[in-house]
Amino acid sequence: MARKTNTFRMNMMAMFVAIVIIQTTVPILGNIPTPWGLEISIISATVSIVTILMGTLDGAVIGGIWGLITFIRAFVWPTSPIAPIVFVNPLVSILPRILIGIFAGMTFSWMMKKTNKFKLSASLTGIVGSLTNTIFVLGFIYLFYRAKAPQLYAVNIKELLPYLLGIIATNGIPEAIFSGIIVPLIAEPLKKVFDRRMHA
Amino acid sequence: MNNFLFGRYLPGNSWIHKMSPQSKLLLTFFFVIIIFFANNPLTYGILICLILLSILMSGISLPYFLKGIQPLIWLIIFTVALQVLFASGGKVLWHWGIFSITDQSLINGGYIFIRFMLIIMISTILTLTTAPLAIADGVQTLLHPLKKIKVPVDTLALMLSIALRFVPTLMDEMTTVMNAQRSRGVDFGTGSLRQRLKSAVPLLVPLFSGAIDHAENLSVAMEARGFTDSEHRSKYRVYHWQNRDLLSAIIFLIIGILVVYFRS
Repeated sequence: MARKTNTFRMNMMAMFVAIVIIQTTVPILGNIPTPWGLEISIISATVSIVTILMGTLDGAVIGGIWGLITFIRAFVWPTSPIAPIVFVNPLVSILPRILIGIFAGMTFSWMMKKTNKFKLSASLTGIVGSLTNTIFVLGFIYLFYRAKAPQLYAVNIKELLPYLLGIIATNGIPEAIFSGIIVPLIAEPLKKVFDRRMHA
Repeated sequence: MNNFLFGRYLPGNSWIHKMSPQSKLLLTFFFVIIIFFANNPLTYGILICLILLSILMSGISLPYFLKGIQPLIWLIIFTVALQVLFASGGKVLWHWGIFSITDQSLINGGYIFIRFMLIIMISTILTLTTAPLAIADGVQTLLHPLKKIKVPVDTLALMLSIALRFVPTLMDEMTTVMNAQRSRGVDFGTGSLRQRLKSAVPLLVPLFSGAIDHAENLSVAMEARGFTDSEHRSKYRVYHWQNRDLLSAIIFLIIGILVVYFRS
């Protein structure tokens, strides 16, 4: 895909940052609260869509910015009671989100080369993107909080950990399914608009 | 929720309003770090005094700050409860299943409540006295050293400014789309999970395609005005490091040293 200008690319990225900011603040657009406490996040789907439209690097940047917002909000405006315990660690809040862009980008380019079916590739990209988020956030929480209690809150995390992981696991699977459905639905019409703009 | 970042800024002429955004950002970070060193009543008392002084210097009345805490109050209570119920160590006062309350956990719960309040207060002071675009400028100044390792700091800062500028615009468009959907009988935020997810799709497509339109129009407008790249731009507003920044930094530093000295 030939890039039109750097200005367009920068503005496009700025718009995606704005969308991520909106999604982290407006509940219906970003996090859909579930009856079991945590929230299903649509933002990993957004990062997957950005990756499909703009490429791996830009997807990783948008993911990183999402992580940064999560990190800052864990201190000043937490979304859930668990956020201030786990997301104050930048390795838990930021790194997995950067990886979403990288893994989703790898999946998409690989699938497009293999099958050349846009919808199928986009769907799998959405699933991989969402699972990357869940698995790495979960994995890092396990790695970092298994051994010692977190600095900020001296909660006895060892007793809490199975519950925490259970919650995230029950959350991660519907999130991945949802992402697999929604990403091709949104990415396909957008791809048309986007390519028209790119070559105009 | 919409007031979390935007529409919170209150123009004013106070000491803190006149400070440069980069020093306000820096002192906010510093304060948050210092909070984690506090661990006894004396150190928390020192920090509370500093916050009260800052609120006084900002010239903004207390109700604005309380309004900022209001939507978070349940979350704070829940977190404190979690802390109290799951803590370990100290004399056990009450025990049931996996829950146990100890004297230590009650004290810790109180500290966490104060900690929450302090962090929310300092960030509220920052957002109430600093316009979002000034914050973006401050971030740019603070990240300037990263230019040495080829990070496109200026481009990132410009991106952030544009993003902040367009958040209200996109939000307005979102409201329009949501109202249009509501008039067709869509019910947001209720119903089963499936229904909630389903109602999100017709919101996201117009949001994204509107964003693409904005990016296109904005690029044309910027290039028509001779924009080539953001690394060699000059600035309309220039913030200087003033005496008031230095004095505030000294006060914060002294408080920081006191907290580290008195912590047990």
